[in-house]
Amino acid sequence: MMLPALAVLAAVSVVPFISLIVMSFSSVKLLGGVGMTLLGLGNWTAVLTDSQTWHAWLVTIEFFVLAVGMEMIFGTIFALILNSLRRARSIAFSLVLLPMFLAPITVGLLGNYLLDPTIGLYSWVLRVVGLLPAGHSLLGQQSTALLAVATLDAWQWIPLVTLIVLAGLSSVNPSVLEAASVDGAGYVRTLYSIVFPTIAPVLLVALLVRSMDAIRYYDIVKITTGGGPANASWVISLQLNEKVQATSLDGITTLIGQASVIGITMLVFTTIIANLFVRVLDRRGLTR
Amino acid sequence: MSDTAVTAKSYRATIAGVLAVVIVLWSVVPLLWMLLTAFKPQTAINTSTPVLAFAPTLENFIRLFTGGNSIGPYILNSVLASVGSTVIAVGLGTMAGYGLSRWKSRAKGNLSFWIISTRMAPIAAVIVPLFVIFRQFGLINSVPGLIVAYLTFNLPFAIWLMSAFFAEVPTALQEAAQIDGCNKWQAFRLVVLPTTLPGMIATAVLCTVFSWNDYAFATAFSGPESQTLPMSAGSLITQTGTDWGQLCALGIITVLPMIVIGLLVRRHLVTGMSMGAVTGE
Repeated sequence: MMLPALAVLAAVSVVPFISLIVMSFSSVKLLGGVGMTLLGLGNWTAVLTDSQTWHAWLVTIEFFVLAVGMEMIFGTIFALILNSLRRARSIAFSLVLLPMFLAPITVGLLGNYLLDPTIGLYSWVLRVVGLLPAGHSLLGQQSTALLAVATLDAWQWIPLVTLIVLAGLSSVNPSVLEAASVDGAGYVRTLYSIVFPTIAPVLLVALLVRSMDAIRYYDIVKITTGGGPANASWVISLQLNEKVQATSLDGITTLIGQASVIGITMLVFTTIIANLFVRVLDRRGLTR
Repeated sequence: MSDTAVTAKSYRATIAGVLAVVIVLWSVVPLLWMLLTAFKPQTAINTSTPVLAFAPTLENFIRLFTGGNSIGPYILNSVLASVGSTVIAVGLGTMAGYGLSRWKSRAKGNLSFWIISTRMAPIAAVIVPLFVIFRQFGLINSVPGLIVAYLTFNLPFAIWLMSAFFAEVPTALQEAAQIDGCNKWQAFRLVVLPTTLPGMIATAVLCTVFSWNDYAFATAFSGPESQTLPMSAGSLITQTGTDWGQLCALGIITVLPMIVIGLLVRRHLVTGMSMGAVTGE
């Protein structure tokens, strides 16, 4: 029963994977029909000795820490707030979820609009409270661009973490909380000693799901800063994208081979996280 | 309960209420602003101080649907591509998910791992080889090409999620049906499948949302013949300036159907978005 699906999945995953590896050792031309010539390790040395590759990875890791960090922290805080609501919890929950349904490209464009230095609503607010000089844009400055992009990503995906943590919170035993409060435990103490240990596995799942996605998506960065200013938000997928569109000096062969090398390094990164994910599930007996 | 405990509790509830208002505002203000802008005339948009009082107009929506670049055909492409890939993914994914949930083998861990890493592979790393392969088979700039491209993330997602839903159906249910005279296929179709129907709908909705919102694959593989809604948003930005009114109108048109179907399956969202890892215990 699994055969038809696995055959299709193999066609759309294994075949591209193998050609990715082959291409990483070849030079690929697209003009006048697709053609490949084996090149050996040329692409690999070209990519690994390019300082821009390393810069892109560094930016990616910064983005990763900023975005996933904000999502985990605020996602948990949002869930705790919603969970302690007595009234209107359902409607508040639905409203908080909304950003998740937007296309990432729409999130990026909306970010451009709200942070526009002349007509942006949020730029205006920041200007009025004196946090932003006139004519400045958070996305346009080297010091704040990456943070702004990461915040846009967080705005969209905090709801996902909230959703997952809320599900975890529903498994916290109310009578244990009651007992803790009778024993005189404060809110913070209760969180640390009872709530967090209970929802730890769920937090880990949220962290892994978001980690894989943070490397995966690039729509928001592409449409807002395009990697700039001065490469301040140049994440690895933009570097790969640039290599796909570039042609080498002879004007015929492409740099797709180099792009493939970058693709493989990204895959390795995600594979490690996916491995952790499955291992976490394994411990909970899900994949058995 | 003593009086102080009661005051402490109501005090805490008030704080929670205030904080809830803050997080709701943080989440919806950008969306409300997009909604307002979509109905604003040009003069009320390009102001350095935000304008709240304006005469609402449908001009932005009308301009999206008229002229040489009407988004009508793009809506159709978006619907065809996302529905097409959803139907195939859920159809095949249901069968494979059932198989996976009932399979007892040591290789199961490896298979699960392969499926999840396919779903989570970086888009950019998938696009490069697919682009070369699509060039060879003439799938560039076509809706079928997009459907195939969306299968790369929707199919593994559907398999994984459906197997989480099937895992919750007790095997005894199927055994009882078989004792009552059903063969294996009948037991699956008449007994097991109906109990997972809500899960199937949730899977389908999420697959639709993922492919509907895609921008990266569409820009890599599509051209004028198969342009989708997110793509046309990208093309509304020109060197001479951005028409925020039209962009916001387009944003509203793009997100509204997703919000409607997304909130319909809200109960299953957590299972879906964590790929069954949280509630599929």
